[in-house]
Amino acid sequence: MSLLAPFNKLPTLNTASILLVESEEQFQQSLAVALVEEMTVTVNVRLARSLPLPLENDESRPRIDLVVFIINLTSDLSFRSAKASLKYLDPGYFLGKVCFMATNARHASVHTGLLDAVRQLAVSLHCPLLFAEDQTPEDVKSSARRLLTILKVASGLVPNTSALFLSNLTRCTMPLDIDQPSFD
Amino acid sequence: MTSSKLAVFLNKHGHRHRLLTMDEVRADGEVAAQLSEAAKAELLELCEEQFAQLEKLQEEIIQCEPDSSEDPEDQLVKRLMATDAELKQWLSMKPSLLATNSDILLQAGKDEMLKLCSDLEMVVSCCEAKRDKLRETKELEQKWLEEKKQVVLTINDHIERLRVEMEKCSEHNIFLETKAKIQKVKAYQENLMENLGDILAMHAPLSQKESSASKNKKNFPLELNENHISLSEILEVLMDKVINTPHDPYVTVDDTFWPPYVEMLLRYGVAVRHQENNFKIRLETFF
Repeated sequence: MSLLAPFNKLPTLNTASILLVESEEQFQQSLAVALVEEMTVTVNVRLARSLPLPLENDESRPRIDLVVFIINLTSDLSFRSAKASLKYLDPGYFLGKVCFMATNARHASVHTGLLDAVRQLAVSLHCPLLFAEDQTPEDVKSSARRLLTILKVASGLVPNTSALFLSNLTRCTMPLDIDQPSFD
Repeated sequence: MTSSKLAVFLNKHGHRHRLLTMDEVRADGEVAAQLSEAAKAELLELCEEQFAQLEKLQEEIIQCEPDSSEDPEDQLVKRLMATDAELKQWLSMKPSLLATNSDILLQAGKDEMLKLCSDLEMVVSCCEAKRDKLRETKELEQKWLEEKKQVVLTINDHIERLRVEMEKCSEHNIFLETKAKIQKVKAYQENLMENLGDILAMHAPLSQKESSASKNKKNFPLELNENHISLSEILEVLMDKVINTPHDPYVTVDDTFWPPYVEMLLRYGVAVRHQENNFKIRLETFF
């Protein structure tokens, strides 16, 4: 089992690398196109259906600064796939270099409970959970902008901030009443 | 994650920031191409130094054995440790001079200032846009408020007017209406009575005349004839009785009622005889 580790490679100058993991490959492509439009830094986007990543191009792969799991809320499979992929990440990633992105939350056929499950997952791993829509170019653009903000911090491009610091502020928290029954 | 690894990891973090600041400076230097050769050399040297340190730290990280634990409790503890270590790092970090060369410092400072200026300009324009929008909204809302106020005033006025009108009109109106109805009913009754009188006068003349005519022929006793009342009077008596004492509508047939009239009334179903007393009749219940 090859773990993807956050610090096993040297960083490249003025470059931020992001790995988009999505089992259905619906949103990945458009999001990647929107991400590389960023001008101030070189954004390196890598796409994957699931983890672990294949070993053969391990050498050419840059250091991944942020891993984004895109979960389609209308499909149970995407959630299970993302959950299975989590095992192949080094624990160091969970100190602010992983983020979940839930899509299609507005869709009518959202599985009840799946949203709660995703939220539960994000809470247990102390990761931020973003909600995004992929219907219009504006939606994709704004999703990309949000990801870039996190990516710049995670790759150390923002002075006086670190990924851990940011993630402590932005991690998903569960309202108490979902987790435990209230007694009043 | 062991604490030594944490320290390494965090050192690297802090280091990376400084390195990047240097990179920025270098990039600016290249673009501006204003720095002297000496300053450039110094910058490059600094970068090399930093990169060497980075490589050293990278080595150390890789040397550390990876400890993967799936236990969320464990991860939570690690997270706490890492945050704590980072906090300590921030607290102990001393601000250090970028470089000793004044050229570099000037360039970096200038650049920072320009960046700050552009950022602040953006903030200003954003605030201005927001303010303008708010002002617009405020004006709109005020206009709405004004309109709403006027509507309220008008409605109140209308209500007041309606109420006054109603108070003034209601009693008078009802009175007039009732009066008109009464008059209509009265006229109708008059009409009916007139019709009845006409019919009676035409078809049932006073018994006196007839009796006076028959007196000569059939030799009826005279006093009887004189007491007889007309058919209309009989009907009047019957009707009065029904109206005045509805519980006892029977009228005693006495000698003032000419028997043929009574017979006629009974036969055509205008009057009904009392079930037990043959001498009492009442008007048929038409209603």
